[in-house]
This record gives sequence, structure tokens and C-alpha cells, in this order.
Amino acid sequence: MATFKFTTNINCGNCIKSVTPALNELDNIDLWKVDTDNPDKILSVDLDDDDAQSVIDAVTKAGFKIEQVD
Amino acid sequence: MSHSESIVNPIIKRQTFRVTGMTCASCAISLETYLKPITGVKFVSVNYPNQSVSIEFDLNVVSIELLKAKAKEISYELIDGNENEAKEAFDDLEAIRLNTLRTKLIGSALFSIPVFIISMFFMGKIPYENWILLGLSVPALFWAGNQFFINAWKKIKHGATNMDTLVALSTGVAFAYSVFNTVYPDFMMSRGIHPHVYYESAVVIITFILLGKYLEERAKGKTSSAIKKMMGLKPKEVTCIRNGEEVTLPMHEIILGDLIILKPGDKVPVDGKVKKGESYIDESMLTGEPIPVPKTKGDAVTAGTINQKGALRIIAQKIGKDTLLSQIISAVEEAQASKPDIQRLVDKIAGIFVPIVIGIAVLTFVIWILIGPNPSFTYGLQALITVLIIACPRALGLATPTALMVGIGKGAELGILIKDAQTLETAYRTEILILDKTGTITEGKPSVTEVIWLEEDSNYSSIIYAIESLSEHPLAQAVLNHFKTLKTETFPISSFESITGMGIKAQLNQCNYHIGNQRLLVENNIILNHDNNALAERMKEDGNTVVYFTENENVVALIGLKDEVKLDAKQAIAKIQAKGIEVYMLTGDNKQTARVIAEQVGISHFQAEVLPSDKGNFIKKLQDEGRVVAMAGDGINDSHALAQADVGIAMGSGTDIAMESAGITLIHSNLDQISKAIELSKATMKTIKQNLFWAFFYNIIALPIAAGVLYPAFKFLLNPMIAGAAMSFSSISVLTNSLRLKRKKI
Repeated sequence: MATFKFTTNINCGNCIKSVTPALNELDNIDLWKVDTDNPDKILSVDLDDDDAQSVIDAVTKAGFKIEQVD
Repeated sequence: MSHSESIVNPIIKRQTFRVTGMTCASCAISLETYLKPITGVKFVSVNYPNQSVSIEFDLNVVSIELLKAKAKEISYELIDGNENEAKEAFDDLEAIRLNTLRTKLIGSALFSIPVFIISMFFMGKIPYENWILLGLSVPALFWAGNQFFINAWKKIKHGATNMDTLVALSTGVAFAYSVFNTVYPDFMMSRGIHPHVYYESAVVIITFILLGKYLEERAKGKTSSAIKKMMGLKPKEVTCIRNGEEVTLPMHEIILGDLIILKPGDKVPVDGKVKKGESYIDESMLTGEPIPVPKTKGDAVTAGTINQKGALRIIAQKIGKDTLLSQIISAVEEAQASKPDIQRLVDKIAGIFVPIVIGIAVLTFVIWILIGPNPSFTYGLQALITVLIIACPRALGLATPTALMVGIGKGAELGILIKDAQTLETAYRTEILILDKTGTITEGKPSVTEVIWLEEDSNYSSIIYAIESLSEHPLAQAVLNHFKTLKTETFPISSFESITGMGIKAQLNQCNYHIGNQRLLVENNIILNHDNNALAERMKEDGNTVVYFTENENVVALIGLKDEVKLDAKQAIAKIQAKGIEVYMLTGDNKQTARVIAEQVGISHFQAEVLPSDKGNFIKKLQDEGRVVAMAGDGINDSHALAQADVGIAMGSGTDIAMESAGITLIHSNLDQISKAIELSKATMKTIKQNLFWAFFYNIIALPIAAGVLYPAFKFLLNPMIAGAAMSFSSISVLTNSLRLKRKKI
């Protein structure tokens, strides 16, 4: 299991609500969290595999911007 | 030209309101008759035990406010608002009503007891006794019993009558006559008649009726306990993971896609699927199946079921009103509000009952005056009061609805959803049960048992895969499962057509392909040679369903699929046959397969190669012979047949329930439930008939006695107080009989 970090524009509680179904639906996600206090709105995800793209796809589909932090 | 005249499309809305103030079955009819003639109102059905009314109306013509105002005119209150609010508001009002009723009952008893004692034992021994009785009677009648007078007055203003009319009239007459004799005793005395007073009759009648009402109200709540139990299956608070943190939220804040944590013993709050964890879930409240079901990642879970040992994380897929549990609850409520034919008849009788009783009472009085012995006026008056009281049609009004409430509620507890009362009324008369094979007798999950290639080409399996992946047929799914392990390349399919009851036609690389049954071959003039036919026959003998795969005019492969018979099928069918019901099996499958399955489960009548549309015709033919036909199928491709049958039984499979076309839906597609449903129908109808018999019998026997037919022979005239007690007793006995159904083992 590895933790991946992404910068997003998930700004507030309601954004989190909108992105919740998309992220929960992903099979490879164990735990995820958005730090909305961080100006970069960091989404950290514990993935079972290394498929970071699936997270990016899901969040994009839910209508948010996302970029992986190296 | 009147172009300007716009035609407004009707906006038909159906809404269920809670109703307060309905105190007897005649009220239900009165509300129904009062609302029905309003322009724009299409349909009104009152459910008395549930205290609700469902109204279908055109929003362009009628507003909810108007309906409420109309109902108010005859003293009923409609409560709308969202489901929960309405329910709470209603429950509050009902609780207050029950409390008031109890206070009044106690008050009435406190005043009635001294009245009774004085009248029975101390008459002529106490100075001013009549004035004392008068003083004690006023609060009992006009405080404790005020609702009877108020309701009766409101009704009569609109030319309507109900049971309250009878109570108000009888006690009012008794009271008025007594007051007259108290104030002007000389008037009667001078005519040689003892100025008798009837205060005790009036107050004791009020007390007994209040007692009956109170007991009835309490028992009535119990008839809907099944629904209350189901509502109790919804948890109030839910723990879920929001933004990586565990939070506990009230139920209504859960959103779709939420990740919910279920600890051991937790009620599942939503319909969803397991994301993580392993556990067993007790689904007995929905399916009637006592054995907990193992659940692991990907499995569906249903709201209202209970997590047993393990911890689970589930994703919410259906919430609130959309969950199966909520749908079941509203379906059951609607069913309980529906009316069987027998009730329509009872309604008609009850509707004219009150005016007829008043007529009989007046007639009795007149006959007594004309030909009765002295003091004929006193006797006549007593008979009049007794007739009015004894004929109160309350038991009649409770007979059917209370039994239905209990019967349908019990069904829901057993995993048998009954759509309307009519189904319940018909099911027990079933003479022929038609079973669909796939999914009803068998598991409905066919799997490929063997594939015989008549021509070798490594591409064929990929082509089959490509074509079948476009089909939604269960057999196609099984074929896909079989071939999915092979590495397949995708083929561009240029045309695809699904032919119901036969199979698929597709075009690919300028070749025509067919995948389907023998009928499809015949239809397309594709000939199966003798040897290959023998192979296919052999597969069928083994109980396989054979699917043919053809390329142009050549049969390329024979695919054998088997769908295992359900474990309990044979036993369940034997049970149904033991009831004297003929069981038929209809299937679109071939003869050999059908025979093998039919023999396996002990069915002698079967028809194979039946198209879905022919199933309906087959049923119709039997119906034309005067038979009552029930049909059980999976509810999706059998919907026509299910609708045609007198009793349509849809075999639910987990969450996909097609309730529209079937009168009965079995939540757990267990064949054993069919005989249970028939048993339930039988027991409920028996209860209804017993109830009606007792209610009618009671009135028919008691009415002449009350009028005094036994007087000439036995000098016996029924005391009005006894009549009051008997009347209350009769409605309680009807209710108790209905509640007995709840404990009956089915």
C-alpha cells in the first residue's frame, strides 16, 4: 500500500461531498482525505496498487482539477 | 376560431393524507362520498384502520387546500406534508386523542356509576332523586359524550349520517324524555303513566361506547404493527467516513456514495454494496429466510437487514425513499388501503345502514304505541333507544379492513409482498399454478457444461464472445462467462438484432451469424445434419439447453448450458399439489430439457418452446374454461403472463423487484413462499368472512330482539344498557379475531 498526494481544487465541505461517491467507488482506494486548509488542497490517498491515474480520472469526472504531486 | 382557448393538460397527482377524526367505518364512507363528487377529483379511497385517505386529483382544478377545507366541513382533518412530518403530526394528534378519550371514559364512568346505583337500587328512596340524576347525567352526556353530538350534528348538516348519529339520537331521546319527566312529572302522571326516567340508560350507553372505542383504538394500533416494525428497521444515526474521518450523522444526512461503517449488530441504513470486510447479514426481516447470508466485497446489502458478527464498510447506492425497505413499506401501506370486492359490498350496505336503522327504530316506536301493551309509550321509547344502539354498524366496518391490515402486514414479515387486497381475495381460490422454468424452478443462473465444435477455427470463440457481449439474455451471460478466460480480440460487428424467444442475428466480416435455439435455425432454413442432430439430442437428454452457433448456413458449434433446479423446488411443488392445485410448467426451452426438469421436480404437465407472448394466451385459454390461474415467474420477461393471470406472483431476486405486473411479489424467490402466500390468502379471507358473519349475524339477531319481538311470547324487552355493552363487545370481538391472524402459523 502506498500513499499518493495530489493537488486539487476541492475547496470546501460541499466539494468533498461531491467527490465522495467517485472516490468511494474506486476499488483500489483504502482511505482518502482532502486537506482543505492547505492552500494546495492536498488530496492524500492510500492505494492498494499504484494506479494513481484511476484517482485522477475519478476526480476529474466529478468535475474537479487534480494533479499528482511528485 | 377559438384559438385562444388553451387546453390545460391535467396534472394528475395521487397523494395519501393522514386523516384525523375518523371514528367509525361510516366516517370512512362519508369522507369518501363527500370528496368524490368534487370536480377534478378522480379517485378517493379511505383506509379506516390506517386512518388515511388516498386521493387522485387534477392539480389544475383542485388544490390540496380545497380538499382539506372540504374535509374539514364534515369534521375531518387531512394532514399532508412530507411523509415523516405527516406521520409525526398524525401520531401526536392520535396520542392526544387517545388520551382525551381515556380521560372522558374515566369521567363518564365516575358520573355513570352513581346514576346507575341510584336508578337500580334507590329509586323512590331519595328526595329529589330525578334532579340529582339529571345533574350527574349532564357532564357524562355532554362533556364525556360531546363528540357524539358534535359529530352527529356536523354530519346531519350535510345530510350525512354515521354511527355517531345513532348514539346521539338514542341517548339524546332518552335524556330529553327524562328531563321532561323530571321537570313536568304531572304531564305523564295525569295520563296514567309513571313518569319514568332513563338517565341511567343514556349515561351507561355513553360509557360503554367510550370503553369500546378506547379498547378499539388501542387494538387498531396493533393491526398495523408489521409496518411499525419495518419502520423501526431504519436506524436513526449512521457512522460513515467523510473525508477520511469517522463521523456519526443523522440518517437523513447520508448521501449517495457515502462510505458507511457497519459494526456487529448495526442495522444496514441504505441499499448498497460491500466495499470492505466480511460478515454475515440477517435478512430475515425482508426475505423471511432465517439463515444469515455471508457478505463480502462486491455483495449487495439491503436497508433494514442486520449485520451479524463482522465489520463491514458499504457504499450507499440507494438512500431514503429509494431503498427496497422504503418501497416495501409504501407498497404495503398502499395495499392495506386497497379494497377487495367484498369490502365494496360491505361499504354499500354500511352506507344505507344508518338511515335504515333510524327508520326501523321509528317504526318500532310507532308499532309499540299502536298495538303495544300499557304503558306502550314507555315500552316503545325503550325499544327505540335499544334498536338505535344495537344496530351501530361498527363491527361491520372493522371486519374487512382490520383483517387485511393484519394479513398484508404478516405477509410482508414473511417476505410476501401483496400488492392489493383483490389479490389476497383471489389467491386462495387458485386451481392451476403455472410456473416459469428459468429462475422460478431453476436457479436462473445457467452455466455452460459443454461446447461441441463442429468446425474448428480459433476465431470462432472470439466471434461468439463479441456477439454475445451485446446481448442481455441470461444465457448469453453464461456463454460470456465461459469464454471470458480465452484471450479474445475484438471484432467489429456491423449489425446486431435480438429476436425474442429465438436468439441473436449478427453480421461480421460479410458473414451472417446466428446464436440461438432450434427455432432460430428453422426460421433461417439452416439444416442440422443427422449426426450433429444426434449430438444435440444427447445433450438435451442430459438436461442441457442447447444453443446453436451458425456461420451463414453452417452450424459451427453446439453449446450446452445447464440451469440447476432449486434445492427446495420438488418439495415446494409437492406441497402445492397437495393442496389440490394443478401445477404446470411453461418454458421457452426445448422439449427434452423441459421434460428432464419437469420430471426432476414432479410436474407432469409442461409445455416447452413457448414464446413469452404465448404464455399469456395459454393462461387466457385456461381462464376461459373457468379456471382460476396463478402464474409465478421472474417478473421481467413474464410480465404479460403475470398480468393476465388471476394471481401474478413475481419471484424477486434480491433488490430487483418488478412489482408492477404482479399481485404478489416474493422477496426471496423461494418456491415454498407460493404455498405460504396461498395459505395467507386463505387465512385472511377466512378471518374476514368470520368477522362479517359475526357482525351481520349479531345485527340480524339482535335487532328484532331490541325491537321487542320476544315480548309477546316471553315478556322480554332488551335493556338499552345491555345493548350498549353488547355493541362494544361485538366490535372488540371482531378486532380480536383479526389480531388472532397475526399469531397464526403459516
